[in-house]
Amino acid sequence: MARMKFLCDIERCIDCKGCVIACKEGNGVPVGINRRRVITINQGKPGERSISIACMHCSDAPCIAVCPVSALYQRDDGIVLVNKDVCIGCGYCFIACPFGVPQFPKGDTFGKRGVMDKCTFCAGGPAPNFSEKERRLYGQNRIAEGKVPLCAAMCSTKALLAGDGDKIARIFQERVARRGTGGKAPGWSTVYK
Amino acid sequence: MKTSRWMEVVNLCLLFCFLGGGLAYGAEMLLRGFGAISTVQAFKEFGVVVSPHWQAYAEDFISFVNGVGRLYLPVIVGVPLVFLIHFVAIGPKGFEHRGRRISFYGLFTRFLHWMCAIFFSLVVVSGLMVVFAKVLGGGSLVLSARTIHLFCAYGFMVFAAPLFLIWVKDMFPALYDFKWLLCGGGYLSKRKVEVPAGKFNFGQKMWFWLAFVGGAVMFYTGYVVSGLSLPQAQIAGYVKIHLILGLFIVALFITHLYMSLFAVKGSLRSMISGYKWEEEVRVLHSRMLK
Repeated sequence: MARMKFLCDIERCIDCKGCVIACKEGNGVPVGINRRRVITINQGKPGERSISIACMHCSDAPCIAVCPVSALYQRDDGIVLVNKDVCIGCGYCFIACPFGVPQFPKGDTFGKRGVMDKCTFCAGGPAPNFSEKERRLYGQNRIAEGKVPLCAAMCSTKALLAGDGDKIARIFQERVARRGTGGKAPGWSTVYK
Repeated sequence: MKTSRWMEVVNLCLLFCFLGGGLAYGAEMLLRGFGAISTVQAFKEFGVVVSPHWQAYAEDFISFVNGVGRLYLPVIVGVPLVFLIHFVAIGPKGFEHRGRRISFYGLFTRFLHWMCAIFFSLVVVSGLMVVFAKVLGGGSLVLSARTIHLFCAYGFMVFAAPLFLIWVKDMFPALYDFKWLLCGGGYLSKRKVEVPAGKFNFGQKMWFWLAFVGGAVMFYTGYVVSGLSLPQAQIAGYVKIHLILGLFIVALFITHLYMSLFAVKGSLRSMISGYKWEEEVRVLHSRMLK
């Protein structure tokens, strides 16, 4: 079965943050929560690069490993989802996540956290498909509609790829091959040292 | 002569070719290569921004979180079981409630103690609800417990600070505390033998430092963990301190409950009235009358 993956082509990302806006607006994500964010290095300098980051839907997700109530789970297609009816907002997933992805809405009562929110790969949640509850808690379920996630769908430079991991890896390989290699091609010393 | 002219032309052409090629290569490097970094190098730099220390702490944190939860069940079952055996085998200590009454706790002290007791008990119970969240099914029940946990932690600190100042002068360890420890605080038999202790015995002193200083550490670490505003590696460290210290606090909390409610008859009443009967003081706090 296909394993769903995101891949951001940093040679194409232009830091327009369109993916962030699309995700927030399309999924009704509240203010203060960002399921997706864009990070830029060397801003304004030679070698500036940007990357769009959200949940990477890890194959062996650390968030699932630390969740004390098993609110996090992985679908057969690799998408990692959270059950907001079970989540207790302990924050362990935030500590365990290599990408700092899990987000927690802050309440007024002693700054207490609500339940965790994160990218759903636009696959909704454990609530019934296309139900009001699913829409309210998790956002759109575009995967059930046969569409790619909003962020990837609207990416103007098609830097953000989403879908079957094998297929997007092939697309990326073709792009790399077209760009050529030359002096900047990674060798042993760049990759492994 | 003619040959050398031709040679000059050829040399000139070669010179132009080399110069042109060099310039073209330089321009290409300037346009494409100037300041550029490889994709792999860029991803390495992103890694530094996104999660710089993840590889150093995450594996340890994941195994810790999965392991420490299993230690709480033996504590909340094992410690009461030990006291149940003590209660059945040895039984509580009873003292004659007549004769002279000795003032032990002032009105303000008792008020502070009971406020601390209420908040502390709620902190412990709600904390255990978070630890055993899976058994309770998670969700809104445990979320409410977390809110109570936070609220009561603040409440405890407000009343604990003045109580700490009132009691701290009597809580420093003394040499006779070692003897108290050796004779098990006199709780290993029903005989009323004088045990070496001042206003507070060594057990109470241990509980004092763990509840107040440990409580302050729990408050601060809990505050950091609830804020999630520090780097993940640091928060992971605070979670570890919070969970390990919590284990000891729960164990001594149960001990304190047993001692005050079951092990010494009239102990609870003395914290309400503020007085202890002379016989109890002579046996359990012998140094006070010397």
